[in-house]
This record gives sequence, structure tokens and C-alpha cells, in this order.
Amino acid sequence: MRDAAAIRTRFRARGFIVDDAFATALEIMQALTKPLLIEGPAGVGKTESAKVLAEVLDTRLIRLQCYEGLDAMAALYEWNYPRQMLHARLSETGALTLDQREAEIFSERFLLKRPLLEAITQERAPVLLIDEVDRADEAFEAFLLEVLAEWQVSIPELGTIRARQKPHVIVTSNRTRELSDALRRRCLFLWLPYPSLTQEIEILHARVPGLSDRLARQIAHMMQVFRGLSLQKAPGVAESLDWAMALMALHCDHLDAETIEQTLGCVLKVHEDSEVFAAHHAALEATQVESRDFGLGSVSTPDA
Amino acid sequence: MYPFGSIPSNLVAFGDLLRREYGFTVGPRELQDTARVIEFVDLADESAVRNALRPILSKTRDNAEVFDRAFSRFFFPGPPGVEQPEQEAVERALGKEPSQTEKRFPEEGGVSPAAAGDEEGGPGRAGAIIAPAATEKPDVPPPFLARAGYSPLEAEALSESPRVGPVACVWRDAARLLVRRLHLGLLRGWRPATRGPRFDLRRTLRTSLQTGGEAITARWLRRPRRTPRFVLLIDGSRSMGPYAQTALQIAVAIASVTMRIEVFAFSTGLECITKDVRRAAGGERRSLDRLQHAWAGGTTIGRCFREFIRRFGGRMTSRDTVLIIVSDGLDVGESDVLGGAMSELHRRSAGVVWLNPLLETPGYEPTAEGMRTACPYITTFSAANDVAGFARLSRLVRVGASRRHV
Repeated sequence: MRDAAAIRTRFRARGFIVDDAFATALEIMQALTKPLLIEGPAGVGKTESAKVLAEVLDTRLIRLQCYEGLDAMAALYEWNYPRQMLHARLSETGALTLDQREAEIFSERFLLKRPLLEAITQERAPVLLIDEVDRADEAFEAFLLEVLAEWQVSIPELGTIRARQKPHVIVTSNRTRELSDALRRRCLFLWLPYPSLTQEIEILHARVPGLSDRLARQIAHMMQVFRGLSLQKAPGVAESLDWAMALMALHCDHLDAETIEQTLGCVLKVHEDSEVFAAHHAALEATQVESRDFGLGSVSTPDA
Repeated sequence: MYPFGSIPSNLVAFGDLLRREYGFTVGPRELQDTARVIEFVDLADESAVRNALRPILSKTRDNAEVFDRAFSRFFFPGPPGVEQPEQEAVERALGKEPSQTEKRFPEEGGVSPAAAGDEEGGPGRAGAIIAPAATEKPDVPPPFLARAGYSPLEAEALSESPRVGPVACVWRDAARLLVRRLHLGLLRGWRPATRGPRFDLRRTLRTSLQTGGEAITARWLRRPRRTPRFVLLIDGSRSMGPYAQTALQIAVAIASVTMRIEVFAFSTGLECITKDVRRAAGGERRSLDRLQHAWAGGTTIGRCFREFIRRFGGRMTSRDTVLIIVSDGLDVGESDVLGGAMSELHRRSAGVVWLNPLLETPGYEPTAEGMRTACPYITTFSAANDVAGFARLSRLVRVGASRRHV
């Protein structure tokens, strides 16, 4: 699948709307077999894109969720010690020589593969998602560089394991800290911004089937308003999808002041943000859609 | 239609432009990748080429945002909608001095790189590859004249841009002490150690191989200490006078002992000077002439802090961050903006250290409006006007869990 247009249609068929820039980035990521570093605000679909890519390529998704204190062992491999010990005890009386027993204990049977090792030992190139790499510490980043550059892992007891197929790697970051230049240089870079109004309407339709066009437009408009405010946590696509589902569940066919107030919790997750929003009624009024039923205070009128 | 004759030389020249004028990190690896990717994109489709080159050449969000402008400027120097002027093929020798290319592609009107893309550009000219010297840009004043608040009365202090350079050994020692004495608690991960609270089965078993399978030496794990990150906000306003230079020395000293530092100068604007400070720590002498509004003007501390939070807060502040503010707190901005920004900084960091040079003046009380607003959010309030003061700092700073009691 080496064509941006084909990527777009296949992603679309799975309810994920990508623009040309994103599709091309995915295309060259496969062509150059380089990791793709996706940065962007929270909730714009960075993680989701990897999942969809795996579906599209019809391959496995292997996910490495980064967190503070993540170390090489948790990412790469670990020996199954209790099982090894048990085996050592049980085979003590056997006829095997010491060398044979050692080789047996340190065989792949007792190796617990963690995501990175798992990803390079697949027959078919999987999609490796290294999620929120900014949460891991710098030392781990350096370690990751080595794996991403060489595609091989050395296990002292077993030898070096080389990748059978280079995985398609997607690295995501929420920018909670600055990534090192070295990591950036080894990756292709994509900045994934919030979707535009038309894109968001398209996304809403693709992901929430049965959503009326009017409601989709209203939600997308509201999202533009929210993102225009200086909020601590601006809502992402995930929030607008949640909101759409919530409104569907409440059998709302349009947004009005009351509904917004009731369901604001789907969108704004910080108390201060709700206050900021409340203070911006005026800004909201200014962005009314043609149907004139939009915004606080102006409930839908029958003639619209 | 392209400035140079062949695709590879165009790519090289484009990489050159990005590197020189837009601060991209473009090396041979990136250029090689662009050459590979050009093979299978449709060269007739401009947006496809853009989309293909952007992920390879840009490495940060800032890069990605200016990329399109740079692309248009380089490949489409003429006005949009018309056929682009033919460019003569140029053999460009690598490593040649810029002067030659400069003459061939003069900059139109001498615009700053950031604004260059918005400008239409005259037909028949390619985008400038190299920024011409200031003398060739008659309508843009040299940067040092644009500095806000230039005053002939203080000409002695201000006649030169602030300079950073390597610092003496005593400064570095003081910085090392500061970094070492900061206790931010422990990391969540476990690391092997000779002694620790948790038994390391893996390593114990591994070493037991040497002793024939009998585990004789026990191995342990412990949680390592958090390493602090520093963010320095240096007030460069006129009232700071020579202390601003001391603040820069502190920055360089800390940068000499840790990589985890970001430095900003502010006055009426905010400017990141981390790169210069790091270079200075590496032994280079640099003059900071691009600071403009971030140096030697008035002070709007609150606004600058708010700008810092908005632009860099998410990436540069965390529970490991020790924020060091060097300022005299003499502020002309609104105090509630400062209060809000300070509470946010306090909330987001391990501790806020405010170094006020006036504190050593006998009889000084922090009663100025700005200082009074900021006080509740400061965890360590001190002065460090010389190396002795900076060395004392390591005993005074309280951060992390212990800061609440101070």
C-alpha cells in the first residue's frame, strides 16, 4: 500500500479521516522504513491512527505504552525466573550435562518477550506503536534509539536477534517534555493539528453513524469555539465524538443552551475551563450557524 | 522552474536554505531520504512533493509550521498563478563561500525569514539562499537598533548586546552543588544497586551461574533519585543593570553541569536563549543580539510569564522542574496577571526560586506591587549577586515535597 490516495480511502473506510499530508507521511514512512513521530494536542487521533494502520495493513498492532520509570527490561525481554528455577530444580537429577541444562534454561521457552522484541520477531511486519514516548525518561529514549536504528537485540544468553521484518513504527508524543534531537532526527515528523471544521464534520459522520447532519455541524462549530478559547485543556476529536454519542444517547437533535450546559462535562474537563466558557457567551453568539438555532440563549426557531 | 538545474542540487540548496535561515537540522541523512522519496511522488503535483518533504525535513512543530513558506519561497519565488520563471542551471560547489550564491539570488526587499513567505517576490528571481549582510538590506534596521528602550543615558551598559561566555571553575562548582543538593524524591523505576530495598532475582540468578548455580551474592534494586530540570527566567530589563549579566553567568554555570536546562530572557518580550547558553557552557563566547524586546526594555513580568506558560509551559515544566527567576520584581504590568501566572508556575513545578538582586541592599523590603503579588508563590526567595551568593543557594533551595513548609 504505497499510495497516498489508497491510504486515504482505506482509512476512510474504517472511519478514520486523514488529510493528504498525513496520508503521504504514512506512505513515505513505509517506503523509507523509518519511524514516524506524530506530535499533536491530546485527543486528535495519534494512537488511533496506528490502530487503523494495523487494520489497513492487515497485520498485528504491538503497543508499547511509555510511562515514567519504564526500563529496557519492561520494553524488551525478561527471563521467566520462577519457571527457570523450577526447571533447574526438577532437572537436577536428570542425565543432562551442565552445559545442556544451561542451554535449556536459557532457551526461548523461558524468554518473556516484551513489545520491542515481540515486534522484531514477527514473520509479518507489524505496526509497532510507541505511545506517549515523552512520558518515558531520557535514558529510555537513548535505548530506544539503539533499537530503532539497528533493529536487533542482543540477549547475552541467547545471542543477537535480528528483525525478520522491520516493523512500521509510529511514535507519539504529547509534548509534555521536549524530545531529544537524536530521536527526532531518526524519525519522520508529523504535526497533527486539530481538524478543520469540514474535517471534523466528516469525522463525526464517519465515527458516529446515524448522527444528523445538523447536529454534526453544530458540534463541529462548537469545537472550533472551544479551541479558540484559551482553555487549560482544549477538547480534542475524542471529546467531540464522546459528546456526539452522549447527545445521541440523550436523543437530542440539536444543541441549545440547556443541552450544552447539561453535557458540558463531555467536552470540558477542568472546572476553570467551564468558567472561561461561561464568560465567553458573546464569542459563542458570534459564530452562529445558518440554522440560527445555535449558541447559548438562542434556542432553535421553527422557521429556521 | 527550479533555482538549480538538477533535482539533487535543488534538494541540497533547499536543505541549505532551511538550515541557514529557518534553523532546521538537515543533514546528509535527511537529504538522502528526500532524494529517495522524490522517486515515487508525482513531481508534477506540488502539494504531493510538499507533503512528502515536510515529514522528512521538519523535526519539530515550529519547523513544520514554517516549512510551507520556505518551500514556496524556494521553489516558487514568482507570484502564484503564473508560470514560474525559468532558472538557469547552476553548478553549485559544496562548501563554497556564500558570496557567490548571494549575488545570484539577491533577497527581495530584505525581509526577515519569518515574513519572507508571505511576500510575493519579484518575477525572475529565486528565493535567497543566504541572508545578505545587513548593509544590503536598507529598509530593515540592523537588529541592535531595534532594541526596545534604548537610552543614551545608560549607553555604557547598553551599548553592547549581552554576552555569554564560559564561566570560572568556582561558578561551576557552585552549580554542581546546587544540582546535587536538590532532592526531588525518587523515580518510579527500579535500578540495580549493591544495596536497596528490593531483591533483584534476575541479577542474583545471573551471578549465581558463576558460583555453580548457588546464589551467594544477593543483588538489589533501588529507585534512583529524580534529576532536576531547570528553567531560568532572566529579567533583562534596564533596572536589572549589571545583575542581568550575573544571571547569565548563573545560567551558563548550571548549563555546564547539566543538560536539563532551559533559559529565557524577558523584558517586555520573551526569548529563548537556551542554545546560546549551552554553547557558552561549551566554551564559546556569544553575543545575544537577537534579543530585542527581551532585553533592556521595561518589564511586564506577568505577561512574559504567561507567554512562557502558553508557549513552553507544557513541555518545560513538570514536577521535576525547578524554576529560577532572576528579577528585581519592578514591574509595570498588571499585578493580577502576574499573580495568575505565578500560581500556575508554582502549581506546575517542583519549586519557584526567585533571586532578587535588590535583596542584598540594606533596608530593602519586597513591597513593590509585583513582588508582593508574587511572594506567596515563591518557595525560595534569595539573592545571588556573586559567586558566593550562588554557592550559598544550594543550602537555601527547598523543592518538591519539602517546599510546602517553607
